[in-house]
Amino acid sequence: MTARGHVKVEKVAKLHGQVAALKGVDFDIRPGEFFALLGPSGSGKSTTLRLLAGLDKPTRGRILFDGKDVTALDAQHRDVAMVFQSYALYPHMTVRQNIAFPLEMAKTPKTEMAERVEDAARKVSIQHLLDRRPGQLSGGQQQRCALARAIVRRSGLFLLDEPLSNLDAKLRLETRAELKKLQRSLGVTAVYVTHDQEEALTLADRMAVFMEGEIRQIGSPAEVFARPNSIDIAGFIGSPPMNLMKARLDNGTPVLAGRPLPLRVKQQAGEIVVGVRPSAITIGEEGMPARVDLVENLGDNAIFDLSFDGGLVRARGPDPLAFAEGQQVAISFDAKDIHLFDAASGHRLEAA
Amino acid sequence: MKTLRSLAISLAVLVFIIAWVFPILWSVLNSFKTEQDILAYPPKFFFEPTLAAYREVLFGSQSILPNVWSSFVISIGTTVLTMILAIPAAYALARLRVPGKRGAGFYILATQMLPPVGIIIPYFLVLRNIGWMDTYQGIIIIYLSFSLPFAIWLMVSYFEDIPFEMEEAAAVDGAGRLTTLWRIIIPQVKGGIAVTVVFVFLNAWNEFLFAVVLSGNTVRPVTIAMFNFVSVEQTLWAQLAAVSVIAMLPVVVLGVIAQQHIVKGLTVGAVKGGGRR
Ligand SMILES: Nc1ncnc2c1ncn2[C@@H]1O[C@H](COP(=O)(O)OP(=O)(O)OP(=O)(O)O)[C@@H](O)[C@H]1O
Ligand SMILES: [Mg+2]
Repeated sequence: MTARGHVKVEKVAKLHGQVAALKGVDFDIRPGEFFALLGPSGSGKSTTLRLLAGLDKPTRGRILFDGKDVTALDAQHRDVAMVFQSYALYPHMTVRQNIAFPLEMAKTPKTEMAERVEDAARKVSIQHLLDRRPGQLSGGQQQRCALARAIVRRSGLFLLDEPLSNLDAKLRLETRAELKKLQRSLGVTAVYVTHDQEEALTLADRMAVFMEGEIRQIGSPAEVFARPNSIDIAGFIGSPPMNLMKARLDNGTPVLAGRPLPLRVKQQAGEIVVGVRPSAITIGEEGMPARVDLVENLGDNAIFDLSFDGGLVRARGPDPLAFAEGQQVAISFDAKDIHLFDAASGHRLEAA
Repeated sequence: MKTLRSLAISLAVLVFIIAWVFPILWSVLNSFKTEQDILAYPPKFFFEPTLAAYREVLFGSQSILPNVWSSFVISIGTTVLTMILAIPAAYALARLRVPGKRGAGFYILATQMLPPVGIIIPYFLVLRNIGWMDTYQGIIIIYLSFSLPFAIWLMVSYFEDIPFEMEEAAAVDGAGRLTTLWRIIIPQVKGGIAVTVVFVFLNAWNEFLFAVVLSGNTVRPVTIAMFNFVSVEQTLWAQLAAVSVIAMLPVVVLGVIAQQHIVKGLTVGAVKGGGRR
């Protein structure tokens, strides 16, 4: 089995009448990769996944699986596995029949079918539930059943549309970890839709950030987190989001609230936005004077809302009791933690 | 207060049942009487039951067995044809975003409100011209024009209850459109189909007005054949009652068989909405 599950999407656009659900996206997914489609609601993630599944046809562009053009191929013939947000289990069939259904459609011999169903059920630990109906399962068990129905195909490509969003918080964390392990052990390519950035950051090998029907950035979670290429993405990735402060350029040096920052860019003058992640802000005695407005105690760490003459910022600190509300402090951050963006275009400015 | 209210309700229900049951009871009792007992006044509640009336209407010179057969052929034919056409039509109407869908829904309802007497003459003329008077195909096709819209209308909501993702999942699983309809959709609307079958069958079985005009001596359903026992000189009450009991039998049998399905069919929305049972 060589490198199955390579996906190439070329200039794919999807119009619904006048509405452009997808304005033209390009990406390449490597075999065995866990690829997340991340973005706010209505950004075109599900649309992209449906195009990959063949449930919809693109208005423009091409889709290739393992080098083969599948753009015109119906879902029925694409041989991809998909887990729906609602699970879409067949309520009139037992779990066993649900899992067996794709094999039945592929005319798999009876004995092999039985084996593979058992095998898939075991992989997601629902082998004791095979004779129940979906209506008799808990939400988590239904989710596993949907996963088993996908696994049993032995397809090289898994498509998942927010598969964890119907689970409660605790179960979601557990399942998330299991999902990643499962994908690794099966060695399949997974395309995973989510609007939860934490999910994308923890699960994905690489991710595409969608906004308004476009892909704004593609990269590993670490890359996107470390070097967001626009203000929009900087504000979207990370929790709490990056602090974004208005500033200007003076001879290539950013000036924030009257103070020059210790770095330079090629561009000489203009309005810019300075971004610093809450975790990169140090609260102490040195730096710009600030006042603690609010402390959000998160147990083993805290979010401090601070006001200084450049505006409001949020900082993450290790000790919730270190500073009290109303206290006068000073804030500082390293040059390497500063992100600069052009205020007009929103594009990232590289330090020179 | 509470007991008073429940007493009042019980009383109302009792009155209702009596009013509803009385005609049936009348038919059943009289079908076992002799003609003399029927005409006795005051009416006899205790009498020596006899099967004479049944013997006469089933095996006598005016046997209604051919008529029962006619009724069955017409009702089953109508039901089968209706379902064959209505299932895909209701599915399409529920799924496809066709222009004029709302209009179609209204038309379907409108046909149910149309007084049959308004169109019976054109139907009569058409059938006569194509030589389909007094034929099964003639009556069935006319019944179809009523039962089909009704059946489609009844079933659309059952199909609409099935989430579209279910079909998409089937497509991804490798099922074609027909397989999806047959293996995924139809089993989920079984209750709706049962309900519709019962209604369509009973409507055809009970139909009278069109049958009067469009049937003849070859095809003569039971509802019409009852008049064999009414003539200018006399009315054979016992035999008439026996025929009506016989005519009611399939209705009762069907009701009992399908009862579970009907109840399930009517509550299918509630069950599905509940998720876990
Ligand atoms: N069938 C359709 N007809 C018209 N517009 C549609 C259709 N399907 C999707 N859209 C539009 O396309 C855009 C992208 O939708 P999509 O479902 O891909 O969003 P999403 O990123 O999955 O969002 P969510 O996180 O809410 O699921 C939305 O603005 C949506 O309204
Ligand atoms: Mg979506």
